[in-house]
Amino acid sequence: MIDEEAAFAGRDKCAVVGIGSTAFSRDSGRSVLSLATEASLAALADAGLSPSDVDGVVRCEQDTVTPYSLAAALGVTDLSFWADTGPGGVAPCMMMGLAMGAILSGQAKTVLAFRSLNGRSEARLGAGVPGMGGERVGGFGRYDEYYLPYGLITAGQTFALMAQRHMIEYGTTQEQLGAVALACRDAANATPHAQMHDKPLSMEQYLGSRMISSPLRLFDFCLESDGACAVVITSAERARDLPKHPVLIRAVAGGAPPDRRVGMMFPVVTRQDMTDLGGRRAGQTLWKRAGVGPADMDCAQIYDCFTISVILQLEAYGFCAKGEGGPFAASGAIRYGGRLPINTAGGHLSEGYVHGMNHIVEAVRQLRGEGVRQVPDAELALCTGGPLPIGSSVVFRRA
Amino acid sequence: MAALLPYTADRETGRFFEAAAEGKLVFRACNACNHALHPPTAHCPYCQSWDTGWRESNGVGRLHAWTVVAHQIHPAFPAPYTLVVVELEDAPEVRLMGRLDGAPALHPGQRMQVWFEKLDDGAALPQWRPASEP
Repeated sequence: MIDEEAAFAGRDKCAVVGIGSTAFSRDSGRSVLSLATEASLAALADAGLSPSDVDGVVRCEQDTVTPYSLAAALGVTDLSFWADTGPGGVAPCMMMGLAMGAILSGQAKTVLAFRSLNGRSEARLGAGVPGMGGERVGGFGRYDEYYLPYGLITAGQTFALMAQRHMIEYGTTQEQLGAVALACRDAANATPHAQMHDKPLSMEQYLGSRMISSPLRLFDFCLESDGACAVVITSAERARDLPKHPVLIRAVAGGAPPDRRVGMMFPVVTRQDMTDLGGRRAGQTLWKRAGVGPADMDCAQIYDCFTISVILQLEAYGFCAKGEGGPFAASGAIRYGGRLPINTAGGHLSEGYVHGMNHIVEAVRQLRGEGVRQVPDAELALCTGGPLPIGSSVVFRRA
Repeated sequence: MAALLPYTADRETGRFFEAAAEGKLVFRACNACNHALHPPTAHCPYCQSWDTGWRESNGVGRLHAWTVVAHQIHPAFPAPYTLVVVELEDAPEVRLMGRLDGAPALHPGQRMQVWFEKLDDGAALPQWRPASEP
């Protein structure tokens, strides 16, 4: 039973009041600053606000658009708070925490959170980690010198090692990974703006797709997308005066795995339990802070850089026991109409890859009742980030 | 295309590569509590000691996980190749990478033996090959 006494001081005190996205594509033909500007203007219009209302901007540390540049491009006149968080896909959920912290401590009233990338046409995320262009790789705290010289150079290869370990320990199957890909594709096929809209995927097609890094196949990998998403956060009190039904930030929590391993993504292979995630600790804290548990979630937007990422997080956040993520996914529970519909717009696997930010946007749509594939009467949604090397999570609640 | 050469002068990890060039496999460990520290750090997070140093491994390991890379990413690594994660027999807290050509048949827990790949610039990289059971 969840400990109601451990109420989180910030519970339901802030709200997402505006959401905005650009189109998701393989080649935007535009700068990331233009994309960020368009998404931010859309989010502000959705909130019934203008750039002059913004006084805080938070971003992912991998974004090449700085808070200052975005504020300048938008015409924000009174920027007084900004912050970076990360790493990478961990950022969006932590941005909700940064915004909350700024608002509740009086450092900002209206915070814009954004992620903008040309992840396909300019800086392909599947091309390997940064720093491979020089004469030498690694060093200076990256610890990549233990990995890159061997040819371990992408996130996909790292997650492939985790997936294979999960298969060794728990008997997870290729079809169970495929069930995640199919659930996300099914959602995308109902979602006109999804990059994989109108592209049905069968298990036969999934199993017939080419191997990228065993056991992960083409359709186990997320998309690489050009696009941007932005959301506007303010106090729950101010949110009541704004046009859209507020979606409250019920609780935010990050978490790190118990192993003390320095470095970024690759050292996960040295963890005592390679398939454990920081999300497990994040989840334990999150559910206490939120005063609700996994069974209370009406839907979940689960960070899906790869299919295995979803299976590991279903376990980490307590939707099923350790090792049971595969059977849980294959049971139909994660599909629309199931016990826990996930990635209801298609997720990173089939909607678009905006590095976690499109998951925040879709969670808000669901709780407003604006989802294309709407979960009936959705009141509570989980959104996760990460999942390497650490995890982040938010519970949103319909006000 | 040249291989991705490791930066070998890092203040935390340089000794690993220096030792490899001497044909030795070393890992960092805490002299106070004996916990292996990998990836290596000068400070022990388990007992808070700064008294840490390098120890030599016997170079035998067990295969923990692997992936066959079928989709080539970098010209220095023609696909298919197999990335292996090997757990040191004498320091199970330490797992190191290795690369095998092609897609050899492997099984979890398989015994592995270290060898040292000479790189273009005189540096060396510990690598692993399947070994027979003792």
